[in-house]
Amino acid sequence: MTNTIDKAAMALSSALLLAGIVVLGLVEILDGVPYGAAPTTNEAGEVIAQPGIDPAVRTGLVLAGLAILGLWGLYRVAVPATGVDRRTTTDATTGSQ
Amino acid sequence: MAYDVSNPHEGEFDLGRVGPLVPVWIATLRVVVGWWFFHAGVTKLIESGLNFTAGPSYLQGMGDTVLGPLAVWMGTAIPGVIGAIVPLAETLIGLALIAGALVRLASLGGAIFMAFFWVGNAEFGHGVVNGDLMGLLLFVTLLVLGAGRYYGLDAVLERLALVENHPRLRHLLG
Repeated sequence: MTNTIDKAAMALSSALLLAGIVVLGLVEILDGVPYGAAPTTNEAGEVIAQPGIDPAVRTGLVLAGLAILGLWGLYRVAVPATGVDRRTTTDATTGSQ
Repeated sequence: MAYDVSNPHEGEFDLGRVGPLVPVWIATLRVVVGWWFFHAGVTKLIESGLNFTAGPSYLQGMGDTVLGPLAVWMGTAIPGVIGAIVPLAETLIGLALIAGALVRLASLGGAIFMAFFWVGNAEFGHGVVNGDLMGLLLFVTLLVLGAGRYYGLDAVLERLALVENHPRLRHLLG
């Protein structure tokens, strides 16, 4: 059984992960070279283009998402889920125990 | 990750209908990831013992990253602890995953390691999704799946009286 806190934690965690990797990845592509998150250099090793989004922002979003998942886990350690036994419920509805 | 006290033998994510390969594959994946960390740790122990000096130096160089303040503090304030804990923890995490014991606890530790590697290595030339992030996500996946229950010792440990009497301990097991 999931409650509002479970759903909010999982949604926020996934949203932050996908924002950091996919959404900002798309923004990075649309922003032009470099398409990755590292600077582009010429043959002399000089930086000729910086990523449009600081990699620290993207890694920070992902780690924040994972941290929320971890905090939710700690919450579930402190407050165990109290769902119904689905197997018993199914058996009960079909009349067999 | 959550453990349902009303139904300890069946989670909401049921793998039972997707074929017999799934538990075998999860166990295989767990052992491979375990070997990855065990190899990394035990070779450091052989080479440097409990004085892995590259660890603190690595953390001190993470100043510009999102984990910078924490990493730099760890590298400068407790270098001796870092030098000992890196090879030791990598080895123990690897052994735990190979044996399938305390897999969730070990996977959490592995995920923390990989978070520092992902951010610290910052090899993002082909984007932020690189091998380090994949390693991080592998540990999270093993943690979420409770991978120690599949051909692992956690399946035995969770039947011990100690665990039966203290169900919260299952959060550390597979």
